[in-house]
Amino acid sequence: MNGFKKSPWILHYDASSCNGCDIETLACLTPVFDVERLGVVNTGNPKHADIFLVTGAVNEQSKHVIRNLYRQLPEPKVVVAVGACAATGGIFRECYNISGGVDCVVPVDVYVPGCAARPEAIIDGVVKGLAVMEEKQTAMAADRGNLDQTLYAAADVGDAPSILSLAKAAALTEALLHDDDSFPALKRTLPQLQQEFDWRLFFKAVVNGKIIGAISGRLTGDTVSVNGPAVHPYFRNSDVAGRMLEEVERAFRGAKQFEVCIGNKSEQLLLELVKAGYLSFKTEVFTPKITWVYLRKEKK
Amino acid sequence: MNAWLRLIVYLVAAPVIGGLLAGWDRRVSARMQSRQGPPILQPFYDVLKLWQKQNLAVFPSQNYYILSFLLLVIFTGALFFAGSDLLLVIFAFTTAAIFFVLGAYKASSPYSFIGAERELIQIMAYEPMVLLTAIGMYMVTKTFYVRGIASHGTMLVLVLPGVFLGFVYALEIKFRKSPFDLSSSHHAHQELVRGITTEFSGRTLAMIEVAHWYESVFLLGWVYLFFAASPVVGVVMSLVVYAFVVLVDNVFARLKWQTALRSAWAVTAVLGFGNIVILSLLP
Amino acid sequence: MMLVLALVLVPCLAGVILFCLRAERPRRTVVVAVTLAVCAGCVALACRPPLDLGELPVSRHAINLGMTAIEALMGLYILYVGVRARHFLIVALMLAQGAVVGWFEWTAGADADAGLALFVDKFSIVMALINGIVGGGICLYALGYMREYHTEAHRDVPDRRPLFFSLLFVFMGAMFGLVFANALPWLFFFWEITTLCSFLLIGYTQTEEARRNALRALVMNLAGGLSFALAMVWFYRNSHTLGLQQLIYSGHAIALLPAALLCFAGITKAAQCPFSSWLLGAMVAPTPVSAMLHSSTMVKAGVYLVLRMAPVITGTTVGLMVAVVGGVTFLYGSLAAITTPEAKRVLAYSTVANLGLVVLCGGIGTYEAVWAGVLLIIFHATAKCLLFLCVGVVEHKLHSRNIEDMSGLILYMPRVAVMMMIGMAGMSLAPFGMLISKWAALRAVVDAHPLLCFFIVFGSSATLFFWVKWMGKLVEVVRPQSRLIKEISLDESVALYGLSLVTFTACLFFPFFSTQFIEPYVAGIYGESGFLGQGNTLIMVIMMVVVMLFPLSFLSHGRGVKLVDPYLGGGNLQGGPSFAGAAGEVENVTLHNYYMTSIINEILLTRVAGLCAVGLLLAMFASALL
Repeated sequence: MNGFKKSPWILHYDASSCNGCDIETLACLTPVFDVERLGVVNTGNPKHADIFLVTGAVNEQSKHVIRNLYRQLPEPKVVVAVGACAATGGIFRECYNISGGVDCVVPVDVYVPGCAARPEAIIDGVVKGLAVMEEKQTAMAADRGNLDQTLYAAADVGDAPSILSLAKAAALTEALLHDDDSFPALKRTLPQLQQEFDWRLFFKAVVNGKIIGAISGRLTGDTVSVNGPAVHPYFRNSDVAGRMLEEVERAFRGAKQFEVCIGNKSEQLLLELVKAGYLSFKTEVFTPKITWVYLRKEKK
Repeated sequence: MNAWLRLIVYLVAAPVIGGLLAGWDRRVSARMQSRQGPPILQPFYDVLKLWQKQNLAVFPSQNYYILSFLLLVIFTGALFFAGSDLLLVIFAFTTAAIFFVLGAYKASSPYSFIGAERELIQIMAYEPMVLLTAIGMYMVTKTFYVRGIASHGTMLVLVLPGVFLGFVYALEIKFRKSPFDLSSSHHAHQELVRGITTEFSGRTLAMIEVAHWYESVFLLGWVYLFFAASPVVGVVMSLVVYAFVVLVDNVFARLKWQTALRSAWAVTAVLGFGNIVILSLLP
Repeated sequence: MMLVLALVLVPCLAGVILFCLRAERPRRTVVVAVTLAVCAGCVALACRPPLDLGELPVSRHAINLGMTAIEALMGLYILYVGVRARHFLIVALMLAQGAVVGWFEWTAGADADAGLALFVDKFSIVMALINGIVGGGICLYALGYMREYHTEAHRDVPDRRPLFFSLLFVFMGAMFGLVFANALPWLFFFWEITTLCSFLLIGYTQTEEARRNALRALVMNLAGGLSFALAMVWFYRNSHTLGLQQLIYSGHAIALLPAALLCFAGITKAAQCPFSSWLLGAMVAPTPVSAMLHSSTMVKAGVYLVLRMAPVITGTTVGLMVAVVGGVTFLYGSLAAITTPEAKRVLAYSTVANLGLVVLCGGIGTYEAVWAGVLLIIFHATAKCLLFLCVGVVEHKLHSRNIEDMSGLILYMPRVAVMMMIGMAGMSLAPFGMLISKWAALRAVVDAHPLLCFFIVFGSSATLFFWVKWMGKLVEVVRPQSRLIKEISLDESVALYGLSLVTFTACLFFPFFSTQFIEPYVAGIYGESGFLGQGNTLIMVIMMVVVMLFPLSFLSHGRGVKLVDPYLGGGNLQGGPSFAGAAGEVENVTLHNYYMTSIINEILLTRVAGLCAVGLLLAMFASALL
């Protein structure tokens, strides 16, 4: 028994809504619809919530807030976009200040259409979100349970699609940390990645048949330039990243130096690299919010 | 029932009873608001879900304070139901509450900070009445030991009516219910977001919930002491008092902390201390 | 006998030597050597308390003459001070005191029979241990502290360190004399020395404020001294003896008025209402002075005297009045401490409050109360001293005494912050010492005068508030801090670590202290003693274990926890505790404690408490005279 289906706690955020969908959402709490009988509680606090209910289209200010709130939601989390504006931008889509629906900032799991969305539809959306959450939780638990059976192997071109989505998910986390989505990895396409297999060596970490970690290296002279490691968000607190760095080092045994480049706010990644023996030697400003930090490890 | 057996029953049964009480509270409150309300087992579903969520924190050490809080609350109830010195029970409980407050301070967010300050003010508001209750019981039964008080012949509420009323006032504060839900808010009323519990998630939040259950059982056990001469009346009155607390929660709006503090101390001085003065004047 | 005399004389001699030493190195050697010697002496005395002290090496008469001469010199100096400051009251009190003592010496001095001049019992051993170990720690600390005081923090204050250290050690010797004295004139002599040391040390910085506060302390302590002198004279006139032990065991008819007068002296020395302003003003002095004189040792002399008088005043109106004065002071100090953000002022109010609790116990005077009172003395001395020393270090490094500036201290100065937490836990948390003492005091009060519990229940709730909000301020971390490289000097760290260890062991081994020292003393006077009981001791131990689990939990390094920003309404901005405000501006997070100044008016509270206390003291004297 998971408990998630019986106790969904909601964080309700109004991105730039006209408040129509918000009124309908709050109407769900009233005696007519009484969503508390399903165990739903409207917490105002992301750290207590499971379901992130967003109404309204997204503008620059709310992008920033949505990123912050999404980061402060504990896993497993589900995003429900309520109303036409949250789904696609609605009738405000062409406005100069509107970037679009919620999915231009964070990945959305459930879309509830309507303008304004009816309470029954909202409740239905929340219930569908619960099903998604149960799936995520089962996957998370199963993967975590089998973490000690992780397979570390060299990857080939056939793995490119999974590695691409993994890299994008990892880059999304970095983008949230930096509050800036100009990371190159977010915009990489599949053909580009497939081409990279020609001159880079890729490694993967596999659990339950799913790729949860990837790293690549390319030898130029004495130096190996390392790209990654990219680890699935569920496995950030394990030693997958460290193991993959070891794999790369083992593959390029003759090399004298290993270099890697990360964003300045990626503290967890930085910790992993420092633990593995990397030291920072250069910084380079990329955008006002992102500064690349270059780290190097000397091999004796 | 000997002390060890009572202890084990307490350790196992208290969270169950506390959870059922919390669920019943939510259901009755919903019914008072013309709603259906969640199932009575809802708090257990909540804790189960929270146990499996990721643990987010501002500082890792804030969770250790909460673990100490839980252990000390369990310890307090264990002391109480094993029948030992009531003053030590009160002091152990205060220590537990302090750990809870320190955990919220550690989290260093504005909401948890103000929640922590208000929780401290609440502690300051109810502590005199709680101590006076123990003193009143001592003056009647000549012992501070819970097992002595529980086995006393006369029904304590008859000799300590003022103390009892003051204690119920203090209970309202201890249960963190309106009009004294200053530091954290359950259900839908939010003023400080989640106040003292804002920065806790996952297992830690589950631990806070469970600690509140142990706390409820301990407090209702204390209400029972007032009626201990007749066990059936005692249990019934504990539930009646809890129902009263829930009723007051739904009827009153939140007080400002100044009013809460002043009114609590005034009630303590007049009802609680007044009762003690009268007791000391009687032969 | 020799050990006792050594404990009294060696520090005094050291004081004289230190007055002549200008250089740092020799001063350090003398201080360290004497401190170690004194500590060893105290411990030796505790391990093998002498049953019979034996004869004095020099004739009693000669010593009495010497004391009279020194007292006369001190009196003249104080008169000079009073005249120079145009302080009428000082001059008047000193003249009155001089007249009383002079007349006494003239009419009776030579053949005054005081029985034993010096004596040693368990209570005086406890006080001696506190004075030696805690006081010694403070002297060590003062080496490093005063060096930094003059070289960095307060360069404008003239460097009179030789005088400073000599006064500290003379004072330590006088305290030993005080607790070992049985002859009332000898006690009076040492009492007056402590008054003079306090006056000189408060005025150390020689600023206008310091001078004013020193004079205030002098006036109030002189009033106490006058009261002491009157007590001596009256007791002698009615019993022709001058021994403390004789006073305690004389009947009410003879002993009640002297006991009331001596309690008055104790009340002024311990800064109870209405005399608490001198202690608060004394906080202008450097931290070692505040710690040694005004929290751990000198003010303890005041409550020591009140506790000694307990068997005499128990059950009388005098005792009741004394107890209520103590209760009023406890409530007053606890409430006032909430309103101030200045660290040393909070500590001063807390000291006044805790001393009030001891006076409450002394006034009640039953065996339970005295047991509780002695426990309170022990735990308060160690924990409060630790706190004062830590605050001194923090003040030097932060250049501020404000609690609000101590935010994040757990990262900036982790060791000092942890020791402060130990001190504060020692003052307010179960199962640490003060809680046990409060438990004992509450029981004593309920058994004797239940209505007095009013003060304890309200006061102890208030103390909880200001301690925990200070603790919270230390652990909260709003902006990232890096650790200060050199937190404390060697001398300071030896003292701080030592005192933390002492606080800790005092809590851990308090059953041992209770059974070895306190219970025999109380049982010796009353025939029975309060005690914790085996069951309760076990509970305390279990609780200690549970609380100790807390620091152990840090070993797990927060495994499985993901660190995120605090909730700021989703407006978190990267890089620190700031958020996007209303117009997109960057706002910083600041957390400021509640000081409740709107509902607790410090000045009004002081006036009301003072008035109540004056009324109570008048009632006390009235009932003693009738």
